[in-house]
Amino acid sequence: MTGPLVGVATVFRRELATVVRTPGYAVLAAGLLVAVGGLLAAGGGGATGFVPAVVDLLLPTEALVPLAAVVLGYRALLADGASGELAVIRTYPVRVGEYVAGVLLARTVALVGVVGVPYAAVGVGVWLTAAPDTGIFATHAGIDSPLLYLRFLAFVLLLGAAYVSLAAAVSAVAASRRSAVALGVLALVAGVLGGDLLLLRSLGAGASPASIPGSLALTPNGAFRGLTFEHVIGVAFAPEGGFVSTGRAVGSLVGWTLLGALAAGATLAYGRRVDAAIERVRSGLAD
Amino acid sequence: MAVFDPYADPSRTLRIALAALLLAAVVATAGAFAADPEAAAPSPVAYDDVVELGLSSETDALMAGSARVPRTQVFYSQLQYVVGYNGVESFAATLDDGRTERQFGYPIAAYVETFDDARPGTTGAGLFESERLGEWTPADEAVYVVGSEARSPAGETVVPFRERGAAEAFVADHGGRVVDWETVRGRSFDTDSAATVRAMAPERWAAADDRIAAAERRADRPVSVVVGEDEPTVEAAVAAAPPNTTVVVPPGTYEETLTVNESVTVAGDDALIRGDGNGSVITVRAPDVAITGVTVDGSGGQTRDPDAAREGREGGGPADGGAWDTNIQLGYGHGDAGIRAIDAPGLVVDDVAVEANASGLLLREGSHAVVRDLRVDGADEWQDGFMGITGMRSRVTVTDSRFEGGRDGIYLHRADGSVVRNSTFTDNRYGAHLMYTGDALLADNAFENELFAGITVMTRPSGNAIVGNDVRNSSAGIQASGTRTYIGYNTLVGNGLGFSTSSRGSLYERNVAANNEVGVRATTVVPSSRVVANDFVGNAEHATAGAGALRIWADGDRGNYWEGANLGTHEPGERAYRPTSPVDGALHRHVAAVAVRESPAVALLDRLRGTVPGARSGSITDPAPAAAPYSPERIDAALAPNAGPVHADWRAEPDERDGSTDENAAMNARDRDATSGGIGRETRRVDAEPTVTSARATTGGAGGA
Repeated sequence: MTGPLVGVATVFRRELATVVRTPGYAVLAAGLLVAVGGLLAAGGGGATGFVPAVVDLLLPTEALVPLAAVVLGYRALLADGASGELAVIRTYPVRVGEYVAGVLLARTVALVGVVGVPYAAVGVGVWLTAAPDTGIFATHAGIDSPLLYLRFLAFVLLLGAAYVSLAAAVSAVAASRRSAVALGVLALVAGVLGGDLLLLRSLGAGASPASIPGSLALTPNGAFRGLTFEHVIGVAFAPEGGFVSTGRAVGSLVGWTLLGALAAGATLAYGRRVDAAIERVRSGLAD
Repeated sequence: MAVFDPYADPSRTLRIALAALLLAAVVATAGAFAADPEAAAPSPVAYDDVVELGLSSETDALMAGSARVPRTQVFYSQLQYVVGYNGVESFAATLDDGRTERQFGYPIAAYVETFDDARPGTTGAGLFESERLGEWTPADEAVYVVGSEARSPAGETVVPFRERGAAEAFVADHGGRVVDWETVRGRSFDTDSAATVRAMAPERWAAADDRIAAAERRADRPVSVVVGEDEPTVEAAVAAAPPNTTVVVPPGTYEETLTVNESVTVAGDDALIRGDGNGSVITVRAPDVAITGVTVDGSGGQTRDPDAAREGREGGGPADGGAWDTNIQLGYGHGDAGIRAIDAPGLVVDDVAVEANASGLLLREGSHAVVRDLRVDGADEWQDGFMGITGMRSRVTVTDSRFEGGRDGIYLHRADGSVVRNSTFTDNRYGAHLMYTGDALLADNAFENELFAGITVMTRPSGNAIVGNDVRNSSAGIQASGTRTYIGYNTLVGNGLGFSTSSRGSLYERNVAANNEVGVRATTVVPSSRVVANDFVGNAEHATAGAGALRIWADGDRGNYWEGANLGTHEPGERAYRPTSPVDGALHRHVAAVAVRESPAVALLDRLRGTVPGARSGSITDPAPAAAPYSPERIDAALAPNAGPVHADWRAEPDERDGSTDENAAMNARDRDATSGGIGRETRRVDAEPTVTSARATTGGAGGA
C-alpha cells in the first residue's frame, strides 16, 4: 500500500481509536436501541411483521438517525483543529483530502455501529417474535419479508452517512465547540424540516405536483422517505409505485455525503487563506 | 479478548473476516433489492383452515345434500390470514371494490376449486353439485363456465375447470360458455349495497303485517260449538266442530289435554285449560288452526325427548352420526309444551297465556305460525324450564308478546323468514336465540335481565335483520354470527357487552351502546363488515378486539361517535380514534389521557398507523370519529333514570340520509334469499359462540343451546 491510501488508512485508524475511546457513543447506541425498541413495542407494528414495523419507525427515524449522525459528526474535524493536532498532522505527508476521507470513513463506520446495530437488533427481534394473532386459521407472510427490512436498514445508513458528512462539514467551519453545537443543531433542523418546508413553499407557489417525485429526492429526508415508501412499504400495495424517482433519490443521498466531504475538505484547505484575505480586507477598510 | 489496537496491522484472519463480513453485507443488501418479495406464490391450504367470506355455506339449500358452491382461496399482500370465498363470483366482486384492497392489499395468489375430475353436475333444483371435492388451481390458469344452468343459492354461479376440455364437456351438458379469468374478473357481479341490506327490515316488517292480517281473517270463523252448552269438554267440542268454524270456550277452568285435528278456531274467553302434568296440554295437528283467548298451564316438565334424538341417530336419520343439528331438532322438538303444533301450517295464536313448565309454544315440521299477544311465564331457573317459543323448521311471526323466565324466550331452528317484533323478554337465558335461521327480522323488541344475551344468532345463517331492539342489564346485548346481517338502530344499555361484530360482510349502524362494560367487541379475524354511525357513550370500555387484522370502522369520512374521542387540541374528526388503545380508550373516563395523547411519541406513532391495516393485529381504529352523536335523543332516553325501553324510529328515517357512499359499498356477500331453499339434513360446523376460539367448533360442540 502506498500513496494516498496509506494516509487515509492511518487517519482512519486514529479516528476509529477516538470513536472507540468515546464512551458516549456506546451510550448513544444503547439509547437508540431503547428508543427504537420502545417505539415498536408501543406501536405494536413489530408484533405482526416487518412492513408494519417500518411503518411505525419511519417518522421517528427521520429525526433520530440525523440526530445520531450529527452527534457523531459535529466535532469530527473541529477537535483536531482546536487542539492544534491538525497543525501537527499537517506536518506529516498527509493531504487534507486524505485526512477528511479518513475521518469521515471512520465516522461512517461508527454510524454503522451506533445506528445500524440497534436497528439490526430490532429487526432480528421482529424476525424472532412477529407472528399472527392466532394460529387457528392458516396464515402466510403476505408480502412481508426480512429483505424489506434489510432495504430499510440500507436507506437508514445512507441517510445517516449524509448527515455525518454534513455535520463534519459544519464542524470544519465552526470555530469553537459551542458554535459547533449550534451549527450542528442548525444543520439538523434545516435537514429534517427545512427541505420539506421548501418543497411545501414551492408547491404553494405554484410548482406542479408532478414535480414531487423529483424534488422530494433533493433533500436527504425526502429522498429517504421516498425510498422507504417506494421499496419497503409500497411493496405491500398494488404494484405501481412512483413515490420518488429511485435513481435520483439514491444519487441525492450519495451526493449530500460527497458534498459534505468536499465542503469539509475545502474549508480545511482554504479556510485559513480565506480568513487571511478577509482580515486583509478588514484592516484595509479600517485604515 | 484482545485489546483493540487500531494502529497494529490486523492479523490475516481478522482481515479475511472483515472482508468476508463486508462482502456478506454488500451481497445481502444487493440481494434485498434484487429479490422480488412477491415472487414466491404460497401453496393452497386446506379449505377448513381459511377465514371464510362470501356466500354462507350453511344455508339450508347447501346443507341439503351434494350441492356445492365453487370455492376460492386468496392470499393477500397485507393480510396474514388466508381468505376463502364461497363462490368465485364473491371473490371477483371484491376485485374492483377498492375497499378490500385498502384493507388487505392486493391478491398475491388466488386458487379456485376446479371440478375436472369431480363429476360436476346439477341437483334437481338446479344447484351446482359435484360428487367429489375439486382441486386447487391458480385462478389465472383455470377456465370458467359462465351462463350455464348451474346455480348457487344466490343465483348464477361460475364453475371453474383446470382443462378447457373438461369445461367444454360441462358446457355440452349444462349450457353456458367457456371463458378465461380475465373475462370473469371483468364481469360485473351484483353486490349488496348498504341500501339493499338496509331495505331488508322494512320489507319484512311489511310482510309480517300481511301475515298478521291474513291470520286475523283466518281466525275469524262462525261459531259452531260452545263448550259446556253443546259439548262437555274442549276436546269433545273440537272433535264435534265442523272445519272452518269457531269453538267457544266460556270462562272457567278446563282440566284436560286435547288434540286439535280440524282447522277450527278455539276461542276462549277468560278460559283456563289445565293439563295433568304429563305431555303437552294442547296438540295441534291440522292446518290453519287458531287458538285465542285462553290460558294454558299444567303441561309436563320434559324439556326434550332423549329417546327421539337417539332413535333419530340410529334409525332413519342422517348416516353421518353425530349430526348435532339433527340431534337438536329431534331432541328439542319433542319436549312438552303448553301448545304444541306438529305439521300444522297456518297456526294462529292470539291473546294466549301459558304458565310453562317446559316450552310455552312448540312448533315443528313446518308449523308456520302467527303469534300475537302471547304471554309465556317460564321457570324461575332457566335449567328447570325451556323455551317460550320453540320453532323447528317452522316460520314464526311473533308480535306484541311477552316472555318471562325459562330458558330462551324464543328459540328458532331452521326457521327461515321468521319475524319477531314488538315483544318483551325478561329473565331468560337468551331472549331470542336463532340457529341455522336466516332471512329473519328481529325488530323493536325489549330485552331485560337476560342471563346470557338478549339476541344471539349462532351458526352462519345469511341475511338476518336485527333492528330497533332495546337490550339492557344483560350479559350481552346482541351477538349475531352469520353473513350479510343488518344490525341497526338497537339500543344497548347497561349490559356486560353491548354487541359483537361476529357476523361477516354485514352492516352495523345507528346502534347506541351506553353504560355497558364493553360497548362493542370485534370478533371476526378478518374484517369484512362495516361499522359506522354508531354511538358509544359511558361504557367502561367502548370497544375491545379479538385476534385478527386491524379493523377500520368508518365508511369513507363517516365514522362512529365515541364519547371522548375528540378531546384535545384538534378539530373534531380530524384525528383517528382507536378505542382499543390504552390512551384513546381512557379519554372519556380520565381527562389526563388527553395530555398523553398529545405527546409527540403518540402523535408520531398515530400518523401512519392505518397504512397497512391487514398486517396489523388486534385493534380497532376509527379514522373519522364523529363530532356529535348520531342519535342524541335515543342516548338521552337510554340514560334517563327509570326510563323504559327506547324506541328507535327506524322505519320513519329516510333511506337517503347518508346515501352518498352507498354505491361502492359492496358487502362481500350477495346471497340474497340464500336460505329460502329446501330443507336439509347435514351440518358441518356450529359457531357455538360467535368468538374466534369457538368459530372452529365442529359438530358435536355443545352449541350452547
